[in-house]
Amino acid sequence: MRLGNALQTARRAGPLLIPYLLVDRRRTSRLPAVARALRAAGAAALELGFPFSDPIADGPVLEAAGGRSLAAGTGWADLIASARATAQILPTAVMTYANPVWRHGLSHALQDLHRAGVSGLIVPDLSLEESAPWRAAGRAAEIEVVLLAAPGIEPARLRRISRASRGFLYLVSRYGTTGAGRAQGREELAALVRASHEVHPSLPVLVGFGVRDRATARAALSTGADGVVVGTALEEKLESGAREGEITRWARSLLGPGSPHVPRT
Amino acid sequence: MPRRFGPYGGAYVPETLVPALQELERSWHSARRDPTFRTELDRLSRTLGGRPTPLYFARNLSRRAGGAEIWLKREDLLHGGAHKFNNALGQGLLARRMGKPRLIAETGAGQHGVATAMIGAALGLETEVYMGEVDMERQRPNVERMRLLGAEVHPVRTGGRTLKDAINEALRDWIANVRTTHYLLGSAVGPHPFPSIVAEFQSVIGQEVRRQSVRAFGRLPDLAVACVGGGSNAIGTFHPLLDTDVHFLGVEAGGAGGRGPGAASLTRGRPGILHGSFSYVLQDADGQVAETESISAGLDYPGVGPEHAWLHDRGRAKYVAVRDRDALRAFHWLAEDEGILPALEPSHAIFAAVGEARRRPATDHVVVTLSGRGDKDLGVVTGAAR
Repeated sequence: MRLGNALQTARRAGPLLIPYLLVDRRRTSRLPAVARALRAAGAAALELGFPFSDPIADGPVLEAAGGRSLAAGTGWADLIASARATAQILPTAVMTYANPVWRHGLSHALQDLHRAGVSGLIVPDLSLEESAPWRAAGRAAEIEVVLLAAPGIEPARLRRISRASRGFLYLVSRYGTTGAGRAQGREELAALVRASHEVHPSLPVLVGFGVRDRATARAALSTGADGVVVGTALEEKLESGAREGEITRWARSLLGPGSPHVPRT
Repeated sequence: MPRRFGPYGGAYVPETLVPALQELERSWHSARRDPTFRTELDRLSRTLGGRPTPLYFARNLSRRAGGAEIWLKREDLLHGGAHKFNNALGQGLLARRMGKPRLIAETGAGQHGVATAMIGAALGLETEVYMGEVDMERQRPNVERMRLLGAEVHPVRTGGRTLKDAINEALRDWIANVRTTHYLLGSAVGPHPFPSIVAEFQSVIGQEVRRQSVRAFGRLPDLAVACVGGGSNAIGTFHPLLDTDVHFLGVEAGGAGGRGPGAASLTRGRPGILHGSFSYVLQDADGQVAETESISAGLDYPGVGPEHAWLHDRGRAKYVAVRDRDALRAFHWLAEDEGILPALEPSHAIFAAVGEARRRPATDHVVVTLSGRGDKDLGVVTGAAR
């Protein structure tokens, strides 16, 4: 199922959870079980992270995990194999930096991902200004190119990004890299969420960076966002050896009852 | 100001940085038209920096080459001992103009870190410098200099612990502190508008070469030679001469030789996206950026400025790689022939320039940008001799 359609359907039932899983060839065989555990917890889609040697938007946890994954020999073929496995279970978007995709040839890489069942692409170092050829290649390959917005953005720019984004709008919660840290003030983020919903009502807005538990997820959803992306905290769970049952319980607790989310119709 | 040089350049950055890059571009547009800014830049370049730097006829080195005359553009005599002062001063003034009280910088050889620390002190701006642990070890005197100048030096322990990793950390700091901090990027790399801003502040080198060569030998040089890591001293040398017939030679670090790529992005890399711009990058088949190796920390970088990529593709400039041991030979030539200790970075350019001069008639003039002095490299050079 296409990423955007899946999210639009799912948000009628409640807030959206998209977990981020880093591709690591040593974990490929376990991936389907983890994806099913996350689906059981109500995850609406999955982000598969393909590691990059110079991940400037990543905090220490994901940077170190990516480094270990690359050192273990993780390559593009492992991304494709991982995507084939997870796309059977949940709508799957790939998150990676611009260069690995570019190196494989924009069109070629996106077609490759599409054939593996991937329906979205998130590139944290792809600014709106550079995104046109990527969005065109995405349309041709039926891959939704998800754009990011961040605090400090001018309203006019946010509207342009929101109109151009497909699948969802990835709203970075704060100044900083992925992982620990405080989100920007609720009011600032809420205004960005409202502005995006105004110009592109069908586009879900998901908040990421710094969402790691029930409290931070609730804070993120209190901005009116449709859901959250959780990466670093899940990586830490996996590193600490959490089994599937524990992952399900933990992921379910993020968006548990009492969430302030009002379902959109 | 061009966003692209042919297909190269652009701004591939997290959205968090976009407002800061736009602010920098606006501030730069207004500053370059502002006579007060120009006057201040010019005054500090002269009185604090020591500009203009001389153009020196290296008679003995020319005799060694046995062909064209070799002239040295003495950026090693600039305050701090390298051309890095030009850009650090310019961007420092821009940071003050934007009201940013804090400077961050990356440094490889430490020359850019030292220049930023000097400017931070002179302009009253808090300064923090990111430096790879490997580079801190091999360029220790510069670490001490930065600390004495009041800068905080953060060791970078990720990746190969050299320049590329220092830039990653500086970018992460900037993402987190972008509202109060200017990232004083040290080379003509990175996202738009950095390559253009750095090139313009470094263009004072080529402007002076143009004037001084006419005064010294009655015409423009036949060839200008400069070393290329990110490429800031080279683009500063070439830029003001682009509309002339002067030939250009950029010299990259070839490393120890053998099968490794050294740090020669243009001669051994392919187009890719690193640190915010599209240019030549040393990388593997999956687009993972390669670890580089060079005896000179300042050239030890897997990318290169996007304008060089375009000059390379158009054939307007030629680029070659010089190996570690040849750079060391050139270091000793210049020391023994002219009594000048060059930094290891321009030693690469000296080696290539001697080879070029040898192939040219005695009536030709080759200008080499001597981008920095070698005091920082004495440990590496004496270690290599043992």
